Amino acid sequence: MALNVSEVTPDLDGPAARRKPAGSRGPGARRPIGAHVFLILLILYFALPLWWLVVGSTKDISGLFTGTGGPLWFDNEFHLVDNIRQLFTQNGGLYWRWLGNSFLYAFSGGIGATVFSILAGYGFAKYRFRGRNLLFSAVLGSVMVPMTALVIPTFVLLAQMGLTNTIWAVILPSLLSPFGVYLMRVYTQDAVPDELLDAARVDGAGDLRTFFSVALPLLRPAIVTVLLLSTVATWNNYFLPLAVLSDTKLLPVTVGLGAWQAQSQSGAAGTQLWNLVVTGALISIIPLIISFLALQKYWQGGLSLGSLK
Amino acid sequence: MSQSLTVDLPSVTRAGHRPKRHGSMDRSRQRFGWFFVAPFVIVFLTFLVAPLIYAFWMSLHLKTLAFGERFVGFDNYLQAFRDPQFLQGVGFVVKFSLVLIPLQMLVSLTVALVLDALTDRLAKFARLMIFVPYAVPVVIGAMMWGFLYSPRFGPMSEIFGVFGLDAPLMLSPGNVFASLLNVVTWQWAGYYMIIIYAALRGIDTSIYEAARMDGANSWQVALRIKVPMISSALVLILVFALIGTLQFFTEPQILRSVAAGSIDAAFTPNIYAYTLAFSYSQFNYASAISFALGVVVFAGSYAFLFLTRKKSGLS
Amino acid sequence: MRSIRRSRGHRRGWVAAGISAAMVVTALTACSGGGGTDGTEGTDGTEGGGTEGGGSGGCTNQIKVPDAEQVTVWAWYPAFEEVVDLFNSTHDEVQVCWSNAGQGNDEYTKFSTAIEANSGAPDVIMLETEVLPSFIIRDALVDLTAFGAADVAGSYSPGVWEDHSNGGGVYAIPVDGGPMGMLYRQDIFDEAGIAVPTTWDEFAVAAQQLRDSGSSAMLTDFPTNGRAYIQALFDQAGSTPYVFDGDNPTEVSIELNDDGTKEVLAYWFDLIDKGLVGTDDAFTTDYNTKLVDGSYAVYLAAAWGPGYLSGLAGADETAVWRAAPLPQWDATNPVQVNWGGSAFGVTSQAKNPEAAALVAKEIFGTEDAWKIGIEQGALFPLWLPILESDYFRDLEYPFFDGQKINQDVFMEASAGYEGFTFSPFQNFAYDKVTEQLFSAVQGEKSPEQAADDLQQQVVDYATSQGFTVN
Repeated sequence: MALNVSEVTPDLDGPAARRKPAGSRGPGARRPIGAHVFLILLILYFALPLWWLVVGSTKDISGLFTGTGGPLWFDNEFHLVDNIRQLFTQNGGLYWRWLGNSFLYAFSGGIGATVFSILAGYGFAKYRFRGRNLLFSAVLGSVMVPMTALVIPTFVLLAQMGLTNTIWAVILPSLLSPFGVYLMRVYTQDAVPDELLDAARVDGAGDLRTFFSVALPLLRPAIVTVLLLSTVATWNNYFLPLAVLSDTKLLPVTVGLGAWQAQSQSGAAGTQLWNLVVTGALISIIPLIISFLALQKYWQGGLSLGSLK
Repeated sequence: MSQSLTVDLPSVTRAGHRPKRHGSMDRSRQRFGWFFVAPFVIVFLTFLVAPLIYAFWMSLHLKTLAFGERFVGFDNYLQAFRDPQFLQGVGFVVKFSLVLIPLQMLVSLTVALVLDALTDRLAKFARLMIFVPYAVPVVIGAMMWGFLYSPRFGPMSEIFGVFGLDAPLMLSPGNVFASLLNVVTWQWAGYYMIIIYAALRGIDTSIYEAARMDGANSWQVALRIKVPMISSALVLILVFALIGTLQFFTEPQILRSVAAGSIDAAFTPNIYAYTLAFSYSQFNYASAISFALGVVVFAGSYAFLFLTRKKSGLS
Repeated sequence: MRSIRRSRGHRRGWVAAGISAAMVVTALTACSGGGGTDGTEGTDGTEGGGTEGGGSGGCTNQIKVPDAEQVTVWAWYPAFEEVVDLFNSTHDEVQVCWSNAGQGNDEYTKFSTAIEANSGAPDVIMLETEVLPSFIIRDALVDLTAFGAADVAGSYSPGVWEDHSNGGGVYAIPVDGGPMGMLYRQDIFDEAGIAVPTTWDEFAVAAQQLRDSGSSAMLTDFPTNGRAYIQALFDQAGSTPYVFDGDNPTEVSIELNDDGTKEVLAYWFDLIDKGLVGTDDAFTTDYNTKLVDGSYAVYLAAAWGPGYLSGLAGADETAVWRAAPLPQWDATNPVQVNWGGSAFGVTSQAKNPEAAALVAKEIFGTEDAWKIGIEQGALFPLWLPILESDYFRDLEYPFFDGQKINQDVFMEASAGYEGFTFSPFQNFAYDKVTEQLFSAVQGEKSPEQAADDLQQQVVDYATSQGFTVN
């Protein structure tokens, strides 16, 4: 029986008839008012801090503290453009440097981690080599290791490799994504049937060829998911860069904003940057939000499976 | 037709899925698997295993002014498990997990079920809004909540004022537990929700049709069919949530600067390890505390998996 | 068909479970791990700070003479870049490569890591005086006696020089100090009819008067997390909590529950109980605003306080600030105390200690450098040539409507300061002080008990760290 495997990423919102919602079929279906109220309250709750951030970005420092509109509404004056302009001039536009660093680390770390995870996941899933299970258990068990244990040793290691104060010291450790490996393994196990691989082998393709031309195309949803997860995780880095980065030009934006906040809080001779912290925070979350919106279909679909027809 | 809605979930046998051809599979071909895992393994060994070994080595030593660095075996661990600060921290994260995880699961599960049942625009927008906090770095989220909790600059007095109440001091020792619950829930509930939601979306709807034909209403469909079908997913999420929450660190550490009295230097075991290392320069003991926490996490997750072994499909 | 579908549905559940689990752990360890990231995405961000002091191009400032020896400096002084530029343009043989590696504990964390890893520390580092002993015992700082420290000793008062020395060695060159005074709101005092207190007794009376006058302001705040501030208050009552000498680094004397401490605590807790002073944590945005918006009438401050205040937002536009000496326990026998202050030390990882020592000695060793530091950085100089100059004495501060606060308050406070010894585990001690005082404020124990418990905790800790406690 020929198995036609099509990679279907179910459109979660589509009008596909199979996906009729369970609750609103048939006669007597009531308008779900209770559910709607519930959802609206939820939306308000989750949006609150973000709304505060948006509103705060339009205020200057005194407006943040004693503004006319209170914390949740706009002041009489609109300072968003001023704040953004100040972000360009403060410390010579250091903020944008930070943002660029975050992008660099997140993408190289993310892409690298994804590549390694794909390869490793495939290896775990489709090959039975000696020590496979032991290795995989070790990989999974590593999540239980509290990271505070590893800061100093890793720093020592990097210092010995002479990689300190370079981008590699941030990127190299981010290539490690045990969950990416787990995810890829599970997905590969199910989405790439052995029969297909055997067929390719019978046709004379080598392992690598098989991997690239047969397996890889089937893995796309998982690949995007892992990519997104790894990128987000690296973007969120804070404490390790804080502990070891001394060159302010190499900081990711999270650490940089933290530094500005500490500076403002200690009031060191009047260098208050609250407006920049708030505006900077807002701008820094925009890229991630946009990518999530743009890639909605992929990651939401990646959580389901290709269907075997 | 019977009203009971038992749906059999047969355990999947893979017999039919993978032809038994081990005998004919070339050993050397199988070893090719190493080639694929090699890049990952190299990074794994370099940046996890090696530092881990060194950290463990550090935890077996002690460096004091009087005696320099000397080997002390497991003394640090003995001290750790008798250290009231460590134990208090463990007590806190355990308590916190026991409250947070069911709460979060409940919220996320409920929301996911609701969203699975609706497909209008509001539901779509809700789904997005609830997930967006995940896109906010944890550090920035904690910073924002630090502002929001401020009696002066946060909207708490306004919000509570709507109900005619006085805003409580959000970060006082009595309230800090609930305030942290809120921060974590805000940050992660949407994430859990999406995962559960996607798992729900993976269920074949024909089952619902069958159940509906048997006379089930939406509540029964939700509780008796959907939830059991994703139970294995739920258990796994719970285990990893437990692992993560026992290692609670970032949010309280960030909020320490605005709640110095409520969140002290050993508030969670991870914070304690961090303080020991970077404030007190007690690197050896800090390592031991980290590993001791690892033991707690290990024990906790295995206990949990054991208790839920029937549900998780792992046994 | 049906059975296949069901099994498929279940398998989907399994895979979805796996995927979900993977996603959850990835994210959750981001929520928890020390890396603030996917916990097992390796320990990332463990990047070196400034490498072998060479700072591989990581200078924030411009190097004026490319061929000269470069000395890396970590400092967070405001307006410091100008000072660095000044140095670089007047020194051909040595150039400063500066970066701001964070403030206070942030910088110390990096420094601590670098010491432990034997790599990554700068040549010269800015350190607050209170943490000097902690780094001296870790052999992180170079004794500058061999590098001409004595040349500049005369430019600093003996008390200050003593603070930066230990066991016969000199470990840092003083930069700025924090002699204490009292900054108060003249307008609030006038409205309530309060006279400026000169003793603590008068201070308590003023607190009561302020309350009785119906003002919404409290006289001042007593922050349990005040750290060095609280320590200074104890010091003023005669408390000498630590005796530590670099010659015998394994011995330390601890007396945190002495009479001076208990007297001060009894005094303040009496005011707290009567509701006359606040107990807000210091260094938060709330506290900062309360300082300037009229919630507090007095700010017992170090000499860098005015700079701090003038930068805070949310200030009361009509405020009238003045400076006066710190209230005394005994008017006939005034005791001056210090809060904060920093210095430059040469680290043990400096490639060229001699060049580094030169930088430490000279960077804040000229009038021009100090004019920048004073006028733009609001620093209080410990360098005598400028501290005792007419320029400094007659300096009018706009924040105080032109009052010459140095002349009125801070020069005398600085001159009378006799020095203070900190412990080699000061961070621990401070954390414990904060915890015990907070506990007392919550009513869980009496202040005396808090002091006694504190003593016990710190003694136990010191013993466990291998010190012989006298």
